[in-house]
Amino acid sequence: MGKIFISLVSLFIVVGAALIYSSTTGTSSLVLLPSELVAKAEAKDLRRIRIGGRVIDPISYQTEPSMVLRFSVKDPKGGEQAVPVVYEGLKPDMFAAGRDVLIDGDFVGGTVRAAKLQTQCPSKYEPAVPGAQQQAPKE
Amino acid sequence: MIEFGHFALALAWILAFGASITGVVLGSRAKAQLGQIEVVRRATMAVAACLGCALVALGYSFVTNDYTVQYVWQYSNRSMPWIYKVTAIWGGMDGSMLLWCFLVALFASFVARASVSYPRPLVPALLGFLNTSALFFTSITLFFTNPFRYLKTPVLMPDGNGLNPLLQNEYMAIHPPMLYLGFTGLFIPYAFCMAALASGHLSNDWVRLTRRWTLIGWTFLTAGIVLGGHWAYLELGWGGFWAWDPVENASFLPWLTATAFLHSVMVQERKGMLKLWNVFLVTLTYALTVFGTFLTRSGIVQSVHAFASTDIGWTFLLYLGLIFVVAVALVIRRRHELSPQRTIESLFSREAIFLLNNLVLLSICFAVLWGVMFPVFSEALTGQKQTVGIPFFNAVNVPLFLLLVFLMGVGPVIAWKRSSLRLMVRSFAVPFLGAFVVGVALVWAGVTEFYPVLAYSIAFFVLMTILGELQRGLGAQAAATGAATLAPSNAVALFRRQRMRYGAHLIHFGVLVMTVAITASMAHKVEREFTLSSGEKYSVGRFELELQEFHDEEQANYDAVQAHVALKSLKDGSLLEVMAPEMRFYRKNKENTTEVALRMGQREDVYLVLAGIDETGTRASFKIFINPLQVWLWYGAIIMVLGGFVMALPLPRQATAEERSRGRAEQPA
Repeated sequence: MGKIFISLVSLFIVVGAALIYSSTTGTSSLVLLPSELVAKAEAKDLRRIRIGGRVIDPISYQTEPSMVLRFSVKDPKGGEQAVPVVYEGLKPDMFAAGRDVLIDGDFVGGTVRAAKLQTQCPSKYEPAVPGAQQQAPKE
Repeated sequence: MIEFGHFALALAWILAFGASITGVVLGSRAKAQLGQIEVVRRATMAVAACLGCALVALGYSFVTNDYTVQYVWQYSNRSMPWIYKVTAIWGGMDGSMLLWCFLVALFASFVARASVSYPRPLVPALLGFLNTSALFFTSITLFFTNPFRYLKTPVLMPDGNGLNPLLQNEYMAIHPPMLYLGFTGLFIPYAFCMAALASGHLSNDWVRLTRRWTLIGWTFLTAGIVLGGHWAYLELGWGGFWAWDPVENASFLPWLTATAFLHSVMVQERKGMLKLWNVFLVTLTYALTVFGTFLTRSGIVQSVHAFASTDIGWTFLLYLGLIFVVAVALVIRRRHELSPQRTIESLFSREAIFLLNNLVLLSICFAVLWGVMFPVFSEALTGQKQTVGIPFFNAVNVPLFLLLVFLMGVGPVIAWKRSSLRLMVRSFAVPFLGAFVVGVALVWAGVTEFYPVLAYSIAFFVLMTILGELQRGLGAQAAATGAATLAPSNAVALFRRQRMRYGAHLIHFGVLVMTVAITASMAHKVEREFTLSSGEKYSVGRFELELQEFHDEEQANYDAVQAHVALKSLKDGSLLEVMAPEMRFYRKNKENTTEVALRMGQREDVYLVLAGIDETGTRASFKIFINPLQVWLWYGAIIMVLGGFVMALPLPRQATAEERSRGRAEQPA
């Protein structure tokens, strides 16, 4: 292998690693379940978090004077602890109670202030198969 | 029909099993009989035929509303238009795996057909490797995700569950098949490479033959990725087209390595360098397509597209391991034949620039992979799961992409081996000055952010080098034939004579157009929220919007409310268009969705979303995005795909005749 090959490859490894390292530490956020958030935060505020949770009622959506969506989330696999969420923006498609959502934002004063809210896409949309669970849908 | 489909699938599995074993065994022998190869070739085509039958059988069950089939019940219902019943074939995992197998087998059969003219020592192992891949995906389909299963209910279901509303869209008919064609097409280079290593036929043949197949896969993948972005843009209502979601990234990773390979392969062809590097790239590309499937099927990372998390993830992981083990074992066996014939002499040479291009592409690939897997890594290392999002991907990738675009202007122009200072000045002085002037002009015009100014300047630099190249090419062609330099016939003759070269320039030009469009839509996007009563007005940019009325609509499978909003020019008040953003309620699935109203324009897109209507039904809230030059992103992509197909067209006749004669010369032995 030539000198140029080796030096170019090494240069990229060093520069690339530095770039990735600095970008990661500057932007990474903690991934938490609602129950973990409650346990971890106690009374503290947390910056840069991502919550994966299931939406529960009550949901309130106002569009005036600006769009504000308020709801709570709990752990997708059950759990009691609900965390209130405020999202200032457009209600995403298919947002409803019972849906799983991903929330990126901060935890301030006991409320998640969402900067980004995504409803999990329905590729997950797997209906319960009637025969497999021995219960036919009510039709 | 379902038994027929199941039978066809099982038969395909048996044939693929036989063909892969026979192919690999024949490939390891010194000489294979022509008749034996022919049997494997036919079997390869039969696998595709069987899987095609299975796919048709499944489609038939959908179209005829056969709700005794579990998969059909899950993903369709009677009220769906027939086109969505057909696209529902790949609406869930089982059917999409079947489509995947079929496409793998289809590509394999095309290669098998073309292999008549390939160097004979390469063919048996090639067919063997093609079939092992088909065998793997057919095994998954047959044993784990078989769509040919009955619904286990005591009574017949009167109606199906229905396809997800977001997937009831015309893009569903084209985006997944394109993406799958891209993914499956990129397994062919791996099969070629492994066959070359296994058979020891390591001349440049495999490289030359692979290039076209790689281009085909790459072009489909490009089209698939951009169509996905376009679909998201039209459907999801957030005004953007790319969110660095794990599923998007999964399709982007093999694209990056395939692009790298398409460049480095030229260095191997011309200079006999980077042989091992190319084996690595081809293996990585194939592995990344499998990794993408693993990522979306295993549920190890959170995504907006949470695919059904299933237990077949581990089989993909095993297969992924196998791909690398085979590659490493074969490379070790042939390590002496893989040593380079030369080394790179100068940094100012085309081979060095191509290597740089490869390193940038791989850096982007690694950064994206890092971002996708960061939750997994961070949890393993620190015990606390962390994630990175759009800011991370942009921070790392924007500078790398700009470097890549810059190299795109240098690579095709600089000389092989070593470029003289005089040549470099001649090629780059004017473009460089032009780019500098553009940068200064932009700053003077008020664009002060660093990256947009840099991006536009670099794009201008590359444009100038491409045009300079074209001018020199046309001049030389005119001098040789005596035609006028700018005559269309002269351009056509030049393009015909050097199709690969100018096809590549066309792709690069498409990338430039996309670069400008992406920069403009990222840097100068306008986003507003507002509420209007009937007759009220709101102005944004050079537009004025006026709410006219509400309109209710009832469709077969949903109810909708449309808000009719007049879009007028702010300058003279003329009506440009009545936009009709919509909110839908799908009765069957009880889902609410919004339909964006979009006015595409050469200067900017107006993208209007109906956010809600108040209880009195008289006031509506909207969100509007003004996306400058957005439409040029799609134009750029079309140019890229066009360039890809131009390059992937069959080689000129002389070349194939030459191959044939060489094939014949080898046969009597």
